[in-house]
Amino acid sequence: MAPVATTEPLHLDALGPRGTYRTRVPSTVTDVAGAPIARLSLVPPLYVVRAIDALRQAPPIAAADLETVFATAGEAFAAGTVGGLSVREYERHVSRTSGTPLAVVRAATRGTARFVRHAASSADRGRPRGAARDLSDHVLHETHTVWARQGDVFAVNASGNHPGVHRVWLEALALGYRVAVRPSRREPFTPYRLVAALRQAGIRDDQLMLLPSDHATADTLVHGADRAVVYGGDDAVAKYAHDARILPQGPGRSKILITADTDWRGHLDALVASVAGESGTACVNATAILVEGDPAPLAEALAARLAVLPSLPPQDERARLPVCPKERARALSAYLKAVAAGTHAWLGSDGIADDLGDGSAVLRPAVHQTASARAPQLRTELPFPCVWVAPWTRADGMAPLRNTLVLSALTRDRDLWEALIAEPSIANVYFGDQPTHWMSPGVPHDSYLSDFLMRSKAVYEGPS
Amino acid sequence: MPIGSFTVLDAGPFDGVDPDDYVRAAMQWHFAPETGSRYWLERADRLGFDPRHDVKGVADLALFPDLTGELRDVQVSDLVPRGYGPQARPLHVFESGGTTGAPKRVVQMDDWARHGSEQVTRRLRDHALPVGALWLTVAPTGPHLVGDVLHQAAASLGSPGLGVDMDPRWVKKLIAAGRRNEVDAYTDHLVDQCRRILLGQDIGVIAATTPMLERFARDSDLVEVINGRAQAIIWGGTHMDPDTRDLLRTEVFPDVPLIGMYGNTMMLTALLERVGLTASEPCVFDPVSPYVFLSIVDPDTGQQVAEGERGQVVVSHVSKSMLIPNNRERDTALRVRSAGGHVGDAVADVAPVPAVEGETVIEGVY
Repeated sequence: MAPVATTEPLHLDALGPRGTYRTRVPSTVTDVAGAPIARLSLVPPLYVVRAIDALRQAPPIAAADLETVFATAGEAFAAGTVGGLSVREYERHVSRTSGTPLAVVRAATRGTARFVRHAASSADRGRPRGAARDLSDHVLHETHTVWARQGDVFAVNASGNHPGVHRVWLEALALGYRVAVRPSRREPFTPYRLVAALRQAGIRDDQLMLLPSDHATADTLVHGADRAVVYGGDDAVAKYAHDARILPQGPGRSKILITADTDWRGHLDALVASVAGESGTACVNATAILVEGDPAPLAEALAARLAVLPSLPPQDERARLPVCPKERARALSAYLKAVAAGTHAWLGSDGIADDLGDGSAVLRPAVHQTASARAPQLRTELPFPCVWVAPWTRADGMAPLRNTLVLSALTRDRDLWEALIAEPSIANVYFGDQPTHWMSPGVPHDSYLSDFLMRSKAVYEGPS
Repeated sequence: MPIGSFTVLDAGPFDGVDPDDYVRAAMQWHFAPETGSRYWLERADRLGFDPRHDVKGVADLALFPDLTGELRDVQVSDLVPRGYGPQARPLHVFESGGTTGAPKRVVQMDDWARHGSEQVTRRLRDHALPVGALWLTVAPTGPHLVGDVLHQAAASLGSPGLGVDMDPRWVKKLIAAGRRNEVDAYTDHLVDQCRRILLGQDIGVIAATTPMLERFARDSDLVEVINGRAQAIIWGGTHMDPDTRDLLRTEVFPDVPLIGMYGNTMMLTALLERVGLTASEPCVFDPVSPYVFLSIVDPDTGQQVAEGERGQVVVSHVSKSMLIPNNRERDTALRVRSAGGHVGDAVADVAPVPAVEGETVIEGVY
């Protein structure tokens, strides 16, 4: 008698120094409705320690191979079957587990593939003009400077809010670091696919790893690496603020400033996109809009545009809003309600959780108007289209604009342009009709990653 | 009260007494006015049942509520059974780890120290531990039971023991406060002491906590000397997940048998890994009749779970020295059928109770 075919659950194994590694009792990855989707092997600290050792022993990827490797991997990521999943299956899993609308996931697949293809050249963009690539670079004889790594092993404690977060560490690989990625337990599919695609393209098992783990073990990884990027909230930022080896990526608190010389009506599409594009789950989505003049008409128009976005399951091609387990949606809704006390709600006053009836709920947009640009609510970034609209005056000055990942400024005031560029706590400034979530390979996100990973070293070659 | 029933209570671990007889004798001892401790005699009125009458065997230990919380405040002298005589003093007073508030205290009289140590030694011999080999024990001593159990075990195998002490409460405090650098510095301090011993002495047996073994695994000089010289590694004091256990056995210390030990203060002894487990089997710990009984229950209902299922570990310690019935540990384990004629469940893959993750909102998109 032939054996009865059983459906083997989808396994996301760790991708360690000796290939795949499956734990005895993998944890379950569930979708937004609580249904099991995959089994994820969470490795113990001892495995992480040994993996880091192997990374440290491994050589950097040969510079000569970089272009081919990234080109091949980008192709596989965008269109191939990787880890047993076609790109369509992959995208559906990402959508169902992270709650990210399918259209956003698909756009992210294409976007990430582009970042993969350009990883080597974009990493090189951050190289100081005086620094030679390596000892064979002829500019060395003139500048006596070489661009050198500050360590060997780079780790990422990643988040699962948007598939695009994994574009960051590609540059570390291009710079010669050996890389370990700890995926989000909610959405491990993207880093799995990316790591597997790069390995397929020729990167060795001991040069790039996927090390899923629990929270405590993630600390072992972060502290075992020479340089690490950690995604988290304000607590993570505070925790790592004083460790020069760790670059925390906290809330973006991206903002839009519109001065009186510019009519916002001509830019409503960009405003809507800044708040709700990428389903509003990215650190580059606008959290606050500051308006010189009466903010009410803008808030009203924005609310009207966002109100018509449909509530749909994430895998629906027409979906534009994020979805999450209904308990979390209710918690977010209650939290927003508490934070918003004292503000005027243009959208979302009845709560933002829209139950889909299967255990999941859509996070609907919220638009609130505050009385002043200094209202504390302007700092509240939440993982769905949620924006605070506030009046801004010249007297308010720079203070409400500080601590911002992306500031889009709709203004013709050239002095203001200069002031925004000069402000140290604003990471990126976009002028004119450009949504806050615009990104491109080779353009810094939070400075060049190489500012954190590399240093310039004097190298003098005298007669020997 | 016939003196005969107290003879049952004096039984050693290999005297083959009937566990039900033993439990009945223990009830007489702990709840008779002439022999019981002040704590139990005063507590008996509020139990709602008469242990001397109603507890007819091991199964009836389930009648007791979990009273171990009271051990945080009871005077130590009130825990000593009067039957030991007015001059009797405990050999040791041990305290629980103190992770959840004030520590709980237990007393160990001479006879239990002897019986407890005897069963540990016998099981170590079953694991073919060498006699007379030099031990290195890296475990907490002082108020903590585990260090004493290991030192006794070494002594009873005729083995001189070297030790490195540690203060787990301080480490836990540092971890809770996020003072990671200090944790690392303290750990390095322990490893430095161990290195001097491991590289300088011919250590045959290493007994250490799981985190220390994991830390040894990072240093190739230590791994090399352990693989080269050690004849056994005993781990205990904390949990070891099955994947770590497998990595230690197959990749880090492939040349040295790795023997698990599960115990805690309320058990007043330690259980050794079952002898002869194959590589694919989980780490099983059998109970010790007639002193230590285990059951695995559903944490919500208190009902025993099915064999092979995971549940909360409930431990009863019954000896002349102390009675600690129905202690719900902060451990979970798979329920396994016990071997070797011991009564009650055996446990496998012991793990900490998972932390509950609530729906708290942390601002930001990550």
